Amino acid sequence: MDRVAHNQQLIYQSIVYICGFLLFWEWLRPLETISDTGSLSIFVIYAAFCFLISMLKVKWWVSMVLKLIGIVFIVDGLFISETIFSGSWFYLLSMHLEFNVEMISNQQWSQMTPLFRSLLFLILLWLMSYLLYYWFVIAKRVFLFILLTFIYLAVLDTFTTYNAEVAIVRTFIISLVAMGISSIMKELNIESIKQLNFKNLTTWFIPIIIVIFFSTFVGFLLPKLDPQWPDPVPFITSTAGHVGFGEGQSPIQKVGYGEDDSQLGGSFIQDETPVFKATVEKSHYWRIESKDMYTGLGWERSSKLVYQEQNDGQIGLDMFDDTLETEDYTAIISFESGSELSKVVYPYGIKEIKGNDQVQYLLDDQTGTIEAEGPEQRGILDNYEIDYSYPSFSVDRLSESSGADPDDIQDLYLQLPNSLPERVRDLAQEIVAEDETRYEKVTSVERYFSRNGYSYSTQDVAIPDQGQDYVDQFLFETKVGYCDNFSTSMVVLLRSLDIPARWVKGFTAGQQIDSDLPLPELSVYQVRNSNAHSWVEVYFPDVGWVPFEPTKGFSSPVDFYEETSSNLEDLENETEQNTEEEPEEETEDQPAPGVEDFETDTAASSGDSDGVMWNWILSAAIFVVLIVLLYSTRYRWMTAFLLQRYKKRHDAKVYQDAYHFLLKVLDHKGFKREQGQTLRDYANYIDKRFESNEMSRFTHHYERFLYRNEIDSDKWGEMTELWESLIKRSLS
Amino acid sequence: MTQQTILYNSKVSKVLKNINKVMIGKDEAATLSLVALLAEGHVLLEDVPGVGKTMLVRTIAKSLNCEFKRIQFTPDLLPSDVTGVSIYNPKELEFEFRGGPILGDIVLADEINRTSPKTQSSLLEAMEEMSVTVDGRTIDLKKPFFVMATQNPIEYEGTYPLPEAQLDRFILKLKMGYPSPDQELEMLNRTSKEHPIHRVDAVMNKEELIDVQHQVREVFMDNSVKQYIIELVTGTRSHAAVYLGVSPRGSIALMKAAKAYAFIHDRDYVIPDDIQYLAPFVLAHRIILNSEAKFEGITADKVVLDLLEKIAIPVRREFS
Repeated sequence: MDRVAHNQQLIYQSIVYICGFLLFWEWLRPLETISDTGSLSIFVIYAAFCFLISMLKVKWWVSMVLKLIGIVFIVDGLFISETIFSGSWFYLLSMHLEFNVEMISNQQWSQMTPLFRSLLFLILLWLMSYLLYYWFVIAKRVFLFILLTFIYLAVLDTFTTYNAEVAIVRTFIISLVAMGISSIMKELNIESIKQLNFKNLTTWFIPIIIVIFFSTFVGFLLPKLDPQWPDPVPFITSTAGHVGFGEGQSPIQKVGYGEDDSQLGGSFIQDETPVFKATVEKSHYWRIESKDMYTGLGWERSSKLVYQEQNDGQIGLDMFDDTLETEDYTAIISFESGSELSKVVYPYGIKEIKGNDQVQYLLDDQTGTIEAEGPEQRGILDNYEIDYSYPSFSVDRLSESSGADPDDIQDLYLQLPNSLPERVRDLAQEIVAEDETRYEKVTSVERYFSRNGYSYSTQDVAIPDQGQDYVDQFLFETKVGYCDNFSTSMVVLLRSLDIPARWVKGFTAGQQIDSDLPLPELSVYQVRNSNAHSWVEVYFPDVGWVPFEPTKGFSSPVDFYEETSSNLEDLENETEQNTEEEPEEETEDQPAPGVEDFETDTAASSGDSDGVMWNWILSAAIFVVLIVLLYSTRYRWMTAFLLQRYKKRHDAKVYQDAYHFLLKVLDHKGFKREQGQTLRDYANYIDKRFESNEMSRFTHHYERFLYRNEIDSDKWGEMTELWESLIKRSLS
Repeated sequence: MTQQTILYNSKVSKVLKNINKVMIGKDEAATLSLVALLAEGHVLLEDVPGVGKTMLVRTIAKSLNCEFKRIQFTPDLLPSDVTGVSIYNPKELEFEFRGGPILGDIVLADEINRTSPKTQSSLLEAMEEMSVTVDGRTIDLKKPFFVMATQNPIEYEGTYPLPEAQLDRFILKLKMGYPSPDQELEMLNRTSKEHPIHRVDAVMNKEELIDVQHQVREVFMDNSVKQYIIELVTGTRSHAAVYLGVSPRGSIALMKAAKAYAFIHDRDYVIPDDIQYLAPFVLAHRIILNSEAKFEGITADKVVLDLLEKIAIPVRREFS
């Protein structure tokens, strides 16, 4: 009979614990979306493994060994290519640990290696499995975790790209099951019912099942209000001023230059933080890099950057044919303090950088990324001077440009995702239906946006839904967006026409500011985060990469000129048109800027901020788990602490504290003493539950102290023993 | 609030053993009677006739080697029948005092509410003052002096209910109740040949009893426990169902009784358990309920139990 009852208990516990795991899974699911966590399934499997081991109630050291083995194999499989447990394997691991410990002690969280981060994450999963076991099975308190899960999902849904629509429903159902079963368990426990027979079982379970089905069903059918608030993030951030958000991948955006373009879309708020000042003779765009692979959501690099050292600041970047008409200029760039961009911003036609002698310039030829590397990490790009030959493009030459694109260009710059909807290609065909040359086609596409109801806005810009294409959404549904929308759409449209094109990032010319310069032809431009911009470069055989500006309200970054006089009229028209389109704010007012996803509030820090964020989350999570662990085991460690005190000091106060601590522990374990209940009566009750007489014996001594004010000091030893044994009994 | 049966004072336990020889299943009544005796108080027994009230008192008297007197109260009983009377002695040519039954050591005042208030008060005065006044002479009563009064439940016909001022003078009031069938069978077996009271021997004498009564006074009661008594008693005064709460005399009674109870359990200090056990017996008959409470069927016992549940036990000693 008892066996059956025991099994029944076990089944309930298992169901509740499995519910716990499912809820915990809901915590892991969003990580893939909101962070750079890869191999999530492995982590989920490991979590499941930990939960399973806890559920089987194996001895603690067995479970520890098993979980450790799990961690070792995962770390080995994911990160270490050496043969497992070989000498070099251990060497590598110890190197990693040493390095990371050093980084942690130096508080350089971002420098932690992925291996170490994953290791910490696995340990976190392990701790969580224990914690949930404690919550769900031992303490039978499921509600707190359920509440936390809902809050977590709600926050993620609100503040990140994660879509918790389905997750909320799943969590809801799992929670109801867990709470239903655990309340049955509690009830059984309170009423000391060993086991339910079939009839009782049905009377218990049928209401639960009905409630779950009914509420799910009703919840599903009921009409749902659309969000009543605008997206709270821009609202909050705009209220809070420039309080920096650090999340790169989320739609929390401030305008600025950033690294990660893998998910475009979403509104942003202006950030007027200055980035650099440029002293130039001519206003033009500042280029940083290009990207070649469109994923349907955003831009990525198809291959890693391959840097080549450039000697003496002579930059061998070759984007155009040498025979193009150019004018030589010099520009002086000086960065604002605090905005250290490790990449060089440069104008088209860059020849040479003069700056700090100790700085090495590294160039990735394909993307045009120039990185500076110097003896010190900071301050290497504070000031530099650039000599450049600014090109202008002959329309005739572009129109005449023909011939095949080189293979490597075709390979890289005609890529499109398979998921690209057919209507995008159809639209491209439609736009260029009457054009013959590549130049005509490109200009048709470039102008298409300004004539077909597309509008420039930084507010209420949509993020593609799951499975939706970023370009498709902009072209056909929203028609509202900023530079990323326009430039990406143009690249995609051109590529669908087999015209090689790429997506370029940088800054617009900025705002001219007054300064007392000796030379009247020079002027100073202030470039801010809000000037971050993206545009398009199109490849023309025999000419090279030619920049185009599809974004409504922006003018072309380079000059085009006509050689033949018969076309002069056209040119004038075109220039006129350009002037019309060109908003004056470009140079005078606050410019209506192009935008970029932004990662940290100091616009210029690059690269590692993912890591910083991720590490912060991880550290915070570990911290929280530790606190919770400490709290849930508070009676254990407090017992150890008090025991030491109790053994050392024999005075009445310690004795009284010890007795009351015991009462607290018992109360915590569900043996509640009513305030009108005498200690002796309570002790009898406890002893009956524990089937011993220790509590009565211990209480007898305490009564004597309390009501007679006498302590049998020769009985300290016995009392300590009684106390220890009682605490152990109640905690077990 | 269950009766404690752990340890008994050796002398007292002999008396209890004697009682148990005669009475079956009357542990509680016996213990409470002894509590009243040792606390130098008096007991009011409320029960129907024939449940062994007299037998209990007689056994106690015999065990303690005390003089046992009995007064059967009737409607025509006069105060002088209780206290005694001066009779003219023709030989000596003067009035001579003949003591009444009140001058015994242990007195059973049977059916006290059947007599007139005047006669009742003569008994009650003696109980409180430890003296009687006859023909202007005040005669002190001997010690020990212990009255066990019985009254029929007041619903019965032909009764004069005791006024609350007089009820207050009994340290505790208890009920005997009927024995269970098993106990009754055992009783029949024991009494079939010879009544067991004849086999009861004295286990203590008067002097020892007085000595024990002195020892009871010495039992320690911590201030926190006294505080607890006060909280209980004041609790009755402000309780919603109560018309008249427990008087300070009630607090004293509870303290004395608790000391005696602790002593019986061979403890030289009082614990809240003593108070909790005794409170219904000591306090309930001192409480007068208001009419709403009576109408709702609330009893004084219930009020006391309610307070016991609500008022916190002192479990901490303050360190200055």
